[in-house]
Amino acid sequence: MNTRIKELRKERKISQEQLALFVGTTRQTITSIEVGKYTASLALAYKIAHYFGLPIEDVFDFSDVDLERI
Amino acid sequence: MEQYRKNLRIRIALFGVTILIFTGILLYNQFGASALIKESLPFSFQCGFSAAGALVLVFWMMKYRAALRDENKLRLLYNEENDERMKLIRAKAGVPMVLILSMVLVLAGMIIGYWNETVFAVLIAVAIFQLFASAAVKVYYRNKM
Repeated sequence: MNTRIKELRKERKISQEQLALFVGTTRQTITSIEVGKYTASLALAYKIAHYFGLPIEDVFDFSDVDLERI
Repeated sequence: MEQYRKNLRIRIALFGVTILIFTGILLYNQFGASALIKESLPFSFQCGFSAAGALVLVFWMMKYRAALRDENKLRLLYNEENDERMKLIRAKAGVPMVLILSMVLVLAGMIIGYWNETVFAVLIAVAIFQLFASAAVKVYYRNKM
């Protein structure tokens, strides 16, 4: 899943460590989410979006989610 | 976070008790065990296992104590333990069940080893294999996820 986390972090000059500490995860997990290796849970996605003050869909790209298969 | 602090204090106390048990075993092995037992393979393994176990627990105790003194370290440790990705990786690697089963195999091996050294070697080998397999799965998923 594509995300805008890296872009938002750069805009606000926030490190991965700072974001991880705030949302209760590790720097490695933030890296994995940023590069698309790991899909965050709804709770973590919500916390990250809340940190940036944006709705989840503005941070995470759900366009590749196949709604037909749900 | 206060609950986590209590949890760490309990872990430190349990580690302390376990270190005392390991030290007791080492002292008994050094001064109380008979010469015949001292020549056996399980005896050497027991000494090594107790010493290594005590050292590992001392390391963890120091890590927990440092975290209890520093709020930032405590937060990092808490996040590390409760990180959803790491929880998933641990679950895929069979933690904590593999660790518990390996510990049971090692303990069984150390006891049975005084009667039959072949069974001892097989049990320890199975425990080591389990731990290696679990570690390999963990490394694989840490890179994949």
